Amino acid sequence: MENYDTDESFLGRWIAGELSDEERIAFEKTDVFKQFDIINREAQLLDGPTIDVERALQTVKARLANKPKKGKLIKLWRNISVAAIIILSTGIFLTSSKTYTTGIGQSQTITLADGSTVNLNANSSISHKRFFWSSNKTVELKGEAYFTVAKGDDFSVETSKGTVAVLGTEFNIKDRADFVLKCYEGKVQFTQNNNTDNTYILTKGMQVAITKDALKEATFTEETPAWKQGVSTFTQQPLSEVLNELSLYFDITFDTSNIDINRLFSGRFYHTDLNNALKATLVPMGITYKKANNKIILNK
Amino acid sequence: MSEKEPSICEEKNYNELFRKFYEPATKYIYYKCGNLQRAEDIVQNVFIKLWKLCATITFSKAKSYIYTASNNSFLNEIAHEKVILKHQKTVVENTDHESPDFLIEVEEFRIKLKEAINTLNPKEREVFLMSRVENKTYREIAEITGLTVKAIERRMSKALKELRAILGKEIKI
Repeated sequence: MENYDTDESFLGRWIAGELSDEERIAFEKTDVFKQFDIINREAQLLDGPTIDVERALQTVKARLANKPKKGKLIKLWRNISVAAIIILSTGIFLTSSKTYTTGIGQSQTITLADGSTVNLNANSSISHKRFFWSSNKTVELKGEAYFTVAKGDDFSVETSKGTVAVLGTEFNIKDRADFVLKCYEGKVQFTQNNNTDNTYILTKGMQVAITKDALKEATFTEETPAWKQGVSTFTQQPLSEVLNELSLYFDITFDTSNIDINRLFSGRFYHTDLNNALKATLVPMGITYKKANNKIILNK
Repeated sequence: MSEKEPSICEEKNYNELFRKFYEPATKYIYYKCGNLQRAEDIVQNVFIKLWKLCATITFSKAKSYIYTASNNSFLNEIAHEKVILKHQKTVVENTDHESPDFLIEVEEFRIKLKEAINTLNPKEREVFLMSRVENKTYREIAEITGLTVKAIERRMSKALKELRAILGKEIKI
């Protein structure tokens, strides 16, 4: 075995000119040296993309300039007519709301009027009032989303299990079969729907989970939710949850009549490839599977 | 407390940061994702955010903010595409002693090299390209990626080993 094969930093040090004279001279005598040398020299002749920095700076400046100017340019008479139209249509639109929905395997980033952003995970939706939203910032969530809320604003999210009120923070809500609220930054307050006297205040690294209406508090250490990086992770969770999660990211259903869906699973799958995801979750459980169109038949 | 740093809220200082870091940050993201348009979008959004946060980020922290924020918003997008590389125009070949046959072989080899680079694991690809194409030192790459110099050395070694495994047979000794 040669140095370059056994020492996992050898070639890296060679490139940086950090081999000892002894190491270098011995390496230069080997047969493979010439191959590495040509690869290195040819790679240095390559060039990356051309980037027009000044044009990009103009683009960014234009985008920054556009936002605060809004409204200043509109003349008074226009304001009046716009106001008239708004008043006329208020009756119709006042109660209307705007909804964003994602399907299986999709995700979407939404920027709200106050600059807060919502990363909507697969098979989820949020809606908010179309008008006068800024005076009462409430959004309704079904499914799962990661919120980054602009500082200094009252902002609340209504879910099927309760209300999450925030003051400048980042948090993730999963409101599916189970409910999990995790706070990644700042502070949030959770009020359960059927128990409004009890409020929970969460800071970074704290979570509340509701399963079958029992509420549990816990802590966690991850910096961002795994789903945002295209992964689902499980620790000691029933197979039924894993299968539910799989059908959020891939358009599939499962025939579970031959298996025990209460067995516990620990592991992860990536949202990029169905076959790999099935392999990663089912093989360790000793379950075989057959695909028939969008249906996956599971067997022991 | 240390000396007062230049404020990013001043346009002159902001422009300086933009001119210094826009290109390397965009290339860094490009080498990860292989989509130049997306890389530019990501880094432009980071700079827009930097302007909005100008009062809260110090001048000396801006560099690491730009790279970290760019990388974070890239992580939300999973797809990796091929990187398109071209040859430096400035390279003048020394053709005196090389037969036309050899030149054709070199041309073919270069095409194969570009293809081979694209088959690398993205983590190794970004390190390899930042080192060999952008001429960054391991220390600089470590700063950008948030990894240790040792980790960069290992990724570099791995990249070279893989490239040789693919291309070794093309090179006659």
